[in-house]
Amino acid sequence: MKVDRRTVLKGTAAVAATSIMGMPAIVQAQSKKWVFAGSSPLTGPFAQAGTTALKDLLDWVEMTNDSGGIAGRPVELIHEDSGYVPTNSLANFKKAMSADEKPIFYSGDSTGFMKLVAPELNRTPVLCGGTSFASDLANPATNPFQYIAGPTYQAMFDILLKHVKDNGGSTVAFVYSDTEFGRDPIEHGRKAAAALGLKVVHEEITKAAGAEVQTHVAQLRRANPDFVIMHGYVTGVWPEIIGTARAFKMETKFLGTFWGMEKVIADAVTAKAGPILDGYAGVLPYRYFYEAKDSPSYSKFFAFKKQKYGDKFPGYVVTWSLQPMFSHELAKNAIEATVNADKEVNAKNLIAALGAIKNWDSGGYMGQPVTVVNHSVPQGRVYSYSAETKLFLPVSDWIVT
Amino acid sequence: MLIGDYKATYAADEAIFRSWPVRYGFAAMVAGLVLLPFAANSFIVFLATQVAIYTVAITGLNILTGYTGLISLGHGALVGVGAYATAILANWLGVPFWVVIPMAVAVTAGVGLMFGLPSLRIRGLYLTIATLAASFIIVFVIEHWGSVTNGDSGITLAPASVFGIDLVSDPQKYALIVPIAVLAVLFAQNLFRTRIGRAFIAIRDSDYSAEIIGVGLTRYKLLAFGLGSAYAGLAGSLWAYNFLALLPTQFELQLSIIFLAALVVGGSARTLGPVFGAVFVILIPEMLKWVFGFLTPFNPTIVEYTAPANTIAYGLLIIVFMIFEPMGLAAIWTRIWRYINLWPFSP
Repeated sequence: MKVDRRTVLKGTAAVAATSIMGMPAIVQAQSKKWVFAGSSPLTGPFAQAGTTALKDLLDWVEMTNDSGGIAGRPVELIHEDSGYVPTNSLANFKKAMSADEKPIFYSGDSTGFMKLVAPELNRTPVLCGGTSFASDLANPATNPFQYIAGPTYQAMFDILLKHVKDNGGSTVAFVYSDTEFGRDPIEHGRKAAAALGLKVVHEEITKAAGAEVQTHVAQLRRANPDFVIMHGYVTGVWPEIIGTARAFKMETKFLGTFWGMEKVIADAVTAKAGPILDGYAGVLPYRYFYEAKDSPSYSKFFAFKKQKYGDKFPGYVVTWSLQPMFSHELAKNAIEATVNADKEVNAKNLIAALGAIKNWDSGGYMGQPVTVVNHSVPQGRVYSYSAETKLFLPVSDWIVT
Repeated sequence: MLIGDYKATYAADEAIFRSWPVRYGFAAMVAGLVLLPFAANSFIVFLATQVAIYTVAITGLNILTGYTGLISLGHGALVGVGAYATAILANWLGVPFWVVIPMAVAVTAGVGLMFGLPSLRIRGLYLTIATLAASFIIVFVIEHWGSVTNGDSGITLAPASVFGIDLVSDPQKYALIVPIAVLAVLFAQNLFRTRIGRAFIAIRDSDYSAEIIGVGLTRYKLLAFGLGSAYAGLAGSLWAYNFLALLPTQFELQLSIIFLAALVVGGSARTLGPVFGAVFVILIPEMLKWVFGFLTPFNPTIVEYTAPANTIAYGLLIIVFMIFEPMGLAAIWTRIWRYINLWPFSP
């Protein structure tokens, strides 16, 4: 057979046409890969969480690409360090949005960034998720392109207050850091407690780090609430408060929100200070990774990790990683829905698809089917820590607020 | 020994651009700034705008610390005052940016004067601690005066508008901010050819001696605080119109320390010092990211070291400059131009 230029061109065209057949027409005109971009706190106060989460997220992307990508196209993840400084994250965002291949999804790393980027998103819209659970963001009118991969802090308080009520509590105290993060759900919590007939007997505001714990616990002791809900901390303060309260022989039960629910931190505190966290409980929107038997998504990720790292993989993925992974799962779902509807994959269509998610099986990340409400997923379950098993175990059903 | 600095007239001695390389260098810089938005992508333009804002802020700190010798750790918070004053005034009054900016500058100058009052009684380390307290107080007030500042949630404002066109894109904001920054730097350069500027320098060199020769310490120290704060207010105002959303955490102590570090590296008591300092603090992290990005194909995990390298680079460069070039990058720049000016008779 004679192979000339014309034959080669025809053959190439035929191969190209065959390879793109079956794909919705609008997607054929778009990029050959999905660019996801984001900022991570690889340094600064949340460096431990940021570096761990980024490694797991890179594995999630690799696993997704090994499974055929999203709607048949591979994902490229571009990540930069922010040092947990919102202005740095914004610069990273600008850089990503000025690149030749613009991302279709951007993952932010703080509430501060999510607020700073809001005006920019009006000019350069892109689907924007992140690590924030800030209640202000669950508002499609003011933040049309942003979403929360779980319940807001206010919804977490709703779940915890219901838990208090269900467990016979009548008085509750709030302990929170003097930060935006700490103050976020407090006003709502007061109203929600009143609606449930619970009395907020005390509020204690502390520093986010290096708080005068004994003074705060002395105040709590005087108020002697049935339950204390702590919020606005990640690695510090809350364990010291519980430890000091135990030393004061307080019978009060302590509760926390997402960032105070990491097993690695609880284990480290137990190893250092003994079983002071035994019985400490809190709300988590996702299953713990050791509940993989109830989660096909976790099982798949477990198998991937085991194959990639062998015995170096400890078998546990921290909650700090589950959150961004679930955020990316939501973005993936939105892309697939948009492609299947033969619509252009842009910010407007993606957020519309994400906002329309209803009764979606998340593969076991969450216990109830996922329905997006006001760009958030308001469900969670209360887990309690056992110092003996070193596990957070469920003590409530999945609660949808 | 400084050579080739012969002046035959007072006008030559007082000239802003004292030699042909400086004149043409400035013209080339202005041409470069004009062409930049047409040649660079929006991220580069965004960085250049940030450099301009930092330059204005650091110029204010230079007036206070570099020229008058009053070290301030509250400058970042004063930038916050300017930014918040801009957002609040723009939202309340709905007046255009060219009215809001002078008002915000005046508000910040007033706040700066208030926090400058301790400088009349204390100096050195004690004054530094007083300005540190000012930094904490200002950020605390912004965070907790929620009815005015919107507290932790931050505040947004409408973009500046020129002839009905909203300045929202990076080149548009650049076109507003960079010329103002250039004028602010030129004003500072002129300031130190006046009685006021020379009084500041006299106070820095020895406040007792300055008082003996007739410099009113009360007046000039407060004036230095007022002027430095006015620059901070201007930087804050430009910051507000650049980002269009503000958070109290942006103006915490770290920002003041960054400004101070930039002044040390750029060169204090030199007009171009703040320009080089601003370029240094904005571009070094980006350059390191670029270097590590280049190395990533050879070592995929190297990106983890970007951030520590950033911190180490900052620290090392500051130490290197303190030891080998305490006059900062501006002094190196001056020497280069002097060499060109004297060539082929350069030493």
